Amino acid sequence: MAVLQKKSKVSDEIPSSSMADIAFLLLIFFLVTTVFPKDKGLAIVLPEPNAEEQEINPKNLMFFLVQPNGQIDVKRGESEQIQVITAQQVEGVWRTDFAQNANLIAVVQTHPESAYRHMINVLDALQSAGADKISLQVQELN
Amino acid sequence: MSIKGGGFSRKSSASDKIPDSSLADIAFLLLIFFMVTTVFRTDKEQDIEWPQAEATKRIDEKRDDILNVWLTQMGEVFINDQPLAMGQVRPIVAPIYAESDRRLVVSIRSDREVPYRLVDELQEQLKAAGVVRVVFATELEQRMTRARR
Repeated sequence: MAVLQKKSKVSDEIPSSSMADIAFLLLIFFLVTTVFPKDKGLAIVLPEPNAEEQEINPKNLMFFLVQPNGQIDVKRGESEQIQVITAQQVEGVWRTDFAQNANLIAVVQTHPESAYRHMINVLDALQSAGADKISLQVQELN
Repeated sequence: MSIKGGGFSRKSSASDKIPDSSLADIAFLLLIFFMVTTVFRTDKEQDIEWPQAEATKRIDEKRDDILNVWLTQMGEVFINDQPLAMGQVRPIVAPIYAESDRRLVVSIRSDREVPYRLVDELQEQLKAAGVVRVVFATELEQRMTRARR
């Protein structure tokens, strides 16, 4: 009887006090090494390398000529008329023209010395206006 | 004369230990969150001024399928921390594109003041490498700042 009743001196609980320490150590490691990815931007699709050239009715083209100072010249189809606008007006101009012609293609022709951000402003405005047929080109200087 | 069980000698029934059994649970919960969200950086971030755009969208693509191409204000091109000449972009990107099973998305991370000529050359290189999906990396522009511009 005496033998059965003898209590063990070893605790019957699993020591868990250091568990939090270990967890926090790992936690701090991951906190320090975490970099939240910054994958965002304006998506476009480039043409295939050997895509067939398509004949497009000039009526369905709208040119946005981005100048080095950020000014935008708008040219419609074959017409030689040039409308000078700012980047903020692109969205409105596109919406008005697109409402009349749903087959309209936006051609963004940027001057080679124009800053990248001017082109981004136009592309941003066009994408905000819901344009999906956008062609990016560089102006050929004579 | 003493009063039995009175005064100072009475013991509180509340434990004098701070309950810490749930501490580990909390720590592990946070730990798991950070383990899941952690992405070890693939390439060093170059020092560029990001262009801003209101139509900025998240790219829902696996990390491994995104290739960053950096274009700094000095006109230097970087892929995976390696400085490259413009003409080297196509031979470097083409095998990566083939390996990705044509799922690769190229993120053009260009400084906002770079002349467009360089961005166009870069696009021509990517086109020649067969890359179709390209993203111009931008920062989200708030309407407030846009109105002031």
